[in-house]
Amino acid sequence: MATILTTTTDHVAVTGAGLLGRLFAWQLLADGHAVTLYDAGDLDVPPAAAWTAAGMVAPLCETAISERCVHDMGRFALTQWPQWLQALDAASLWQQHGSLMVAHPQDLGELTQFRHDLDHALGGNAPCQPLDAREIHRLEPDLAPGFQQGLYLPDEAHLDNRALLTRLLDEIRALGGECHAHCPVETFPGEVVTADGRRRFDLVIDCRGTGARPRHPSLRGVRGETLHVQTDEIRLSRPVRLMHPRYQLYVVPKPEGRFVIGATQIESEDRSPMSLQSSLELGSALYTLSPAFAEARILEQGVNLRPAFLDNLPHVTHREGLVTANGLFRHGYLLAPAVVCHLLAVIRGHGERPFADTLAARPPQENAA
Amino acid sequence: MDALHDDTLTLYDEAFASRFLLGTALYPSPTVMQEAIRAAGCEMVTLGLRRQNPAGGDGEAFWQILRDSGCRLLPNTAGCRSAREAITLAQMSRELFDTPWIKLEVIGDDYNLQPDPFGLLEAARELVDQGFKVLPYCTDDLVLCQRLRDAGCQALMPWGSPIGTGRGLMNRYALETLRRRLDVPLIIDAGLGAPSQAAEAMEMGFDGVLLNTAVARAHRPPLMAEAFAEAIRAGRKAYLAGLMQQRQTASPSTPTVGQPFWHRDGG
Repeated sequence: MATILTTTTDHVAVTGAGLLGRLFAWQLLADGHAVTLYDAGDLDVPPAAAWTAAGMVAPLCETAISERCVHDMGRFALTQWPQWLQALDAASLWQQHGSLMVAHPQDLGELTQFRHDLDHALGGNAPCQPLDAREIHRLEPDLAPGFQQGLYLPDEAHLDNRALLTRLLDEIRALGGECHAHCPVETFPGEVVTADGRRRFDLVIDCRGTGARPRHPSLRGVRGETLHVQTDEIRLSRPVRLMHPRYQLYVVPKPEGRFVIGATQIESEDRSPMSLQSSLELGSALYTLSPAFAEARILEQGVNLRPAFLDNLPHVTHREGLVTANGLFRHGYLLAPAVVCHLLAVIRGHGERPFADTLAARPPQENAA
Repeated sequence: MDALHDDTLTLYDEAFASRFLLGTALYPSPTVMQEAIRAAGCEMVTLGLRRQNPAGGDGEAFWQILRDSGCRLLPNTAGCRSAREAITLAQMSRELFDTPWIKLEVIGDDYNLQPDPFGLLEAARELVDQGFKVLPYCTDDLVLCQRLRDAGCQALMPWGSPIGTGRGLMNRYALETLRRRLDVPLIIDAGLGAPSQAAEAMEMGFDGVLLNTAVARAHRPPLMAEAFAEAIRAGRKAYLAGLMQQRQTASPSTPTVGQPFWHRDGG
């Protein structure tokens, strides 16, 4: 057993085929290792939070409600994702047209507060441009008139996350990865236990999200709800965030007239279907952004749990035969590149380990995992 | 010895050394919330259950974090828009947390979350009848507060201003009236944005302060919690010490040196 894989014949188990699991499996297969990927659910329509998510890579939007390191890891993601997508021959899944924040005239205080929080976090030189009604219209002509002020964050990006997850799975299979769907596991150093028994590996990578609860007692799930709608009546070129005193909801455009609007954040591990209250909030935010959404068709009501440690920051652990990565909370696509690059450097035994201060720190109130 | 050593807040016959109550929403993370609770030195925290699917027990992971704080949990009925909803949720929270204490909220307006005085009174009467220890979140209306007291609420939580606005004590006159006319503990709940506003409430003789947004949304929540805790203690000490009354010095009431007393009346 080893933490560091030295030969390309080593056999790795990746447990959890969400975003992290797929990225690890792909990268280690590309390194020449044998990889077995396990998931408790389906692989084509995975139960992972990454499938429910909207796929934003928006470090500034998230800064106001997160720690500084989330922003820094998010900026890392803005450079890492295009490289990975290039390597996957899927560059078109990446859209970097910035993001737009708007508020109703009576809620302009929310934009001011956001600006204030951003300046405090980043020292006043964040790439963030105030917009008037005319400039908002120029960026997103289909938005409802009446938004008098907005903020444009030109660096931010979003990606077609479901297509990415599918593309990663195809690549894993093409590289000879062994994939097991509907196969819940328990993980141990150098060992994976399934319903069929124990199986030895040189290294086990545990990134099962909330499924890794037995390994991380302080890990919790935070409920999030999203609406997926489809309409050809409106086009958006970038994610738009509606600032409101009690909720901040964003709509992210997807191919073929699809939009994802999200997300609620409720401190509960409730996986039951979306509440009417949440559907009203999400639906009315959407309708406010443009009444043209009125005749959009609701394709899906997504509900999932974001895996989170007590500090809402990601953490990794590594010891002989077992590494873990978890706790990406509401920032899956924003933080995955930092987490994956860090752990790959650990596993490969060379290269820089970015963001070690945050990632390698033990989760609060947890002893050795 | 500290001047406030023996000074306790008594709610429903239970004594609390701290006069600062914190809400548990909106923090960047549970860790930051825990630090803020510690820095505030509070003994009671509120929690909202409405959207957590409490009947399924699905909020357990978060509730355990709150229990670990060592504070008494004060469940609230935030998000309820009718007396019936609030009563049902209160009953559920009594089962879940094994407590008859409830911070009663019945919301009348969705946008500013202003309490519905009619639904509030109806729910308060019913819950008191059922043996609950009801702490109603109310407006600063004297008659409403009297009715709530008459319904059996042994403490009231009038707002300073609407939830989350940070506008402080919007109607000092109404709040002073409440303080003079009601002999139950009064806790200013909601609307405070700055520690100076909390100190002001305490100087006026209010018994405690409950807030959430001003701490949770600060850039450094634990530091802001500490600032409020100090302001609340300072305000309390000032109230106990007896504030001097403001003086009118624009026109002298006694002869000043160099001015002959027979000139006092402008004569």
